[in-house]
Amino acid sequence: MQVLKTYYLSIGYANKIVASDIDISIDSGDLVALIGPNGAGKSTLFKTLSGHIKPVSGTIEINGENAENLTAKERAKMMSVVLTERPDDMFLTVCEIVASGRFPYLGMFGKLSGNDEKIVEESLEIIGIKHLSDRLFNTLSDGERQKVMIAKSIAQDTPIIFLDEPTAFLDYPSKIELFSILKRLATEQKKTIIFSSHDLELLLRYTDSLWVMGKQLPFIKGSCSELLENGKIQEYFNLQNIDNEYLTNRI
Amino acid sequence: MTIILLGIVLFLANLFVGSVKIPFKEILDVLLKANKDNPLNTIILNYRLPQAVTALFAGSALAVSGLLMQTLFRNPLADPSMLGISSGASLGVGIVILLTGVISGSAVSSLGWWSTIGVSLAAFAGAVVVLFLILAFSSRTKNMTTLIIIGLMIAYIASSVTDILKFFSMKEDIHAFVIWGMGSFSNVGTERMTMLSISVIIGLLASFFLSKNLNVLLLGETYAENLGLNIKGNTLTIILISGYLTAIVTAYCGPIAFVGLAVPHIARFIFKSSDHRLLLPMTMLIGMDLALLCNVIARLPGFDGNLPINAVTAFIGAPIVIAVITKGNKVAK
Repeated sequence: MQVLKTYYLSIGYANKIVASDIDISIDSGDLVALIGPNGAGKSTLFKTLSGHIKPVSGTIEINGENAENLTAKERAKMMSVVLTERPDDMFLTVCEIVASGRFPYLGMFGKLSGNDEKIVEESLEIIGIKHLSDRLFNTLSDGERQKVMIAKSIAQDTPIIFLDEPTAFLDYPSKIELFSILKRLATEQKKTIIFSSHDLELLLRYTDSLWVMGKQLPFIKGSCSELLENGKIQEYFNLQNIDNEYLTNRI
Repeated sequence: MTIILLGIVLFLANLFVGSVKIPFKEILDVLLKANKDNPLNTIILNYRLPQAVTALFAGSALAVSGLLMQTLFRNPLADPSMLGISSGASLGVGIVILLTGVISGSAVSSLGWWSTIGVSLAAFAGAVVVLFLILAFSSRTKNMTTLIIIGLMIAYIASSVTDILKFFSMKEDIHAFVIWGMGSFSNVGTERMTMLSISVIIGLLASFFLSKNLNVLLLGETYAENLGLNIKGNTLTIILISGYLTAIVTAYCGPIAFVGLAVPHIARFIFKSSDHRLLLPMTMLIGMDLALLCNVIARLPGFDGNLPINAVTAFIGAPIVIAVITKGNKVAK
């Protein structure tokens, strides 16, 4: 069964449709990059898929069930997000943030069970930040903070993870490290991972599957090599003038 | 632990300090032995004890109310007056004190006991009206900034109406209104003390059910929503409880400034934590301590028990906040 599937999905706001006729279908363990120039509607698509805003028309199915019928709690156990905005509280520790991923599973007073604590610890280990556990979130580097938010998503234990521009503020080595973490999560943990990014060159090297959005252009999807060979990426990013060899050689 | 001990010491100090000197042994006598003939009974049981109890509950209620506002709006400058609730209370009181004077031709202050009850009711009514206005708006918007601005605007409207009332009022009434606006823990008698305590305890207990949601709000609204938190419902509940606590305290004691703003910061920096399961109870206790301390100082011999509490809260509280925060920053580095 497909983890996430959409039928004739149109996204946007009351008086402005951003993109329409989006048909997506992805499986567990898929790692998909969503690319497109600024203003193409990447964030809107993320917000719609993760349930923050309603689709203009069409349906979203999660594990074969219409997303509209999910309660907030059920949704929280299916999809987690990693955003560009970060918690800015002064005294939040890494461990507390990761533990907040357990929120949908907790009782009234928010006490972590032994099992919850185990999951938090495992999440920290999977991302390799167990040594940061007691640090204040505010004192970490951008790369470390990004990892903490991903660990939170893992603690949330959702089959689907959305990441909004996870590489945006990172230096080059951190970007590569992040890509390898995402890849590992997809293959080892069988997570379905969808992330947006502007790091085209790195994407071509690290991901197999792309969704491409453009202004006034239809939503398309395909493998990196496919989309490069048929010239779609060049078209959507206005790269027609750039030597094709340059891009294809990068793969 | 230290905070509780400090609270007990301050509570006793509240019974001890006043314009009439009473030896400590006598105070214990009054408290522990129910000796009806003791002439000091009146001073301690009818005057000092209710005042101390009022300070205790008002302090903790305002502190918790401030903590809720600061977390909800993730704004360190938020306090219980944020959403115009105390301005609503002021307007209510303004209407009663200022308008009855104009209509009946005699100052309300001359009505004696009834005026205290009337003022409390008016304050509560004013606060509740604003509270419901805010709740109505908050069920329509998810945007916290919008909500803050609406609250501010309501506060401005309320205070400008109050000013208009003042303009047409009698001098004695304006004086009474200004005195009310300075806040006091001493207008609550023995009977009303029980009512205040019960009302505050209900609000404080309710706030404990929020700690889980408050913690997840620290991540930001989008994360909180993704984790399954119902943003609108949660906002509504937080405003309701915070507004309720503010309304109660303002009704009995007038608008008490600063405690609600300062105490959450003191608690956060002492415990270096943002976990509301710890912060909520500690904010309550520190709020009690600060209010009791301010009340003792307001009552030091020489002030004749008449120093308005608002003159003391900031004067005493601000240096404490500065000390705690600068010390806390050093540790963080």
